[in-house]
Amino acid sequence: MSDETRAIRRRFVPGTTADDLKAYMAPFVATLGYKFNTEQDFVDEVLASELEILEATGDVYCPCRVRTGDPKEDFKIICPCIPFHNEQFAAMRKCWCGLFILEDVEDGAELLGVIDEPEPGAAVDVPVCRIDDLPRGQVRHVKVGKSDIALARVGDEFFALSNVCLHAFGPLSEGVLEGYEVMCPWHGWRYDVRTGGTDHPNADVKTYPVVVRDGLVFVSVTVR
Amino acid sequence: MTVKVYALSTCPYCRMTRKYLDENNVQYDVTEVDLLEGDEKAAAIDEVRTVSGGTSFPVVIVGDEVVVGFNKKRIMELLGL
Ligand code: SF4
Ligand code: FES
Repeated sequence: MSDETRAIRRRFVPGTTADDLKAYMAPFVATLGYKFNTEQDFVDEVLASELEILEATGDVYCPCRVRTGDPKEDFKIICPCIPFHNEQFAAMRKCWCGLFILEDVEDGAELLGVIDEPEPGAAVDVPVCRIDDLPRGQVRHVKVGKSDIALARVGDEFFALSNVCLHAFGPLSEGVLEGYEVMCPWHGWRYDVRTGGTDHPNADVKTYPVVVRDGLVFVSVTVR
Repeated sequence: MTVKVYALSTCPYCRMTRKYLDENNVQYDVTEVDLLEGDEKAAAIDEVRTVSGGTSFPVVIVGDEVVVGFNKKRIMELLGL
């Protein structure tokens, strides 16, 4: 999860209404490439369950997942939990509950019910942000499944490479982008964002294909 | 054939699944995992992980077959509905 995502995640208090949840969640999930399910009744039902859970536990835990009591695990099922499970959800085209569906799904009813988690090896395009979320000449951290990725924008081209510098594991997303080169913030190693290549031997980093469509940036990954 | 359902009291798919089974007069055992406490809850979560490989609900067990989510088509096939 990127720091930006962390910053805008919000805690709800008892007394919150379904409309409050909707008003907060719709723009939040839109930045991740999702929207509410097109089945209104279903959405209302899930939100009603979330509000019951909020009253009982003090947070909007997922109605379709079980809280194990391990705070670290349970944190990953606070709604909307998309940032933590974006690889699986992109493959299923919806979140587990089906409260949210990918923006380009026209009929959410078709996706209700079935929970088909992707097989390892499946290729999937995972939305990571909207085009406008990343200004030209900048690089930011995105998390896809378990992978930490530096997403760079050069002009109107987007590139995704491993976020981890192979010198001493500095975060490339915090580096400076000059042309097609990102400079690691720790000791200045330079990587070509197009290829992951660097001048240092055997230290090239992995790159990922990027697809831009419908105003969204997708990183293509293989499910692990 | 024995049918067992692991469900959450809060989960819409679980409700849909149970309603569907009820409407078709299917006899089944149901465990509402979120309503259990302590060791019982931990044991039920372990069981769900073991049979389904995750913690998605509902988990419907028909004989040796496991269906995760409200997969009506699959449940129909397994129960011959
Ligand atoms: S699976 Fe869907 S409804 Fe459940 S917490 Fe995640 S985003 Fe919310
Ligand atoms: S960690 Fe990147 S240059 Fe040292």
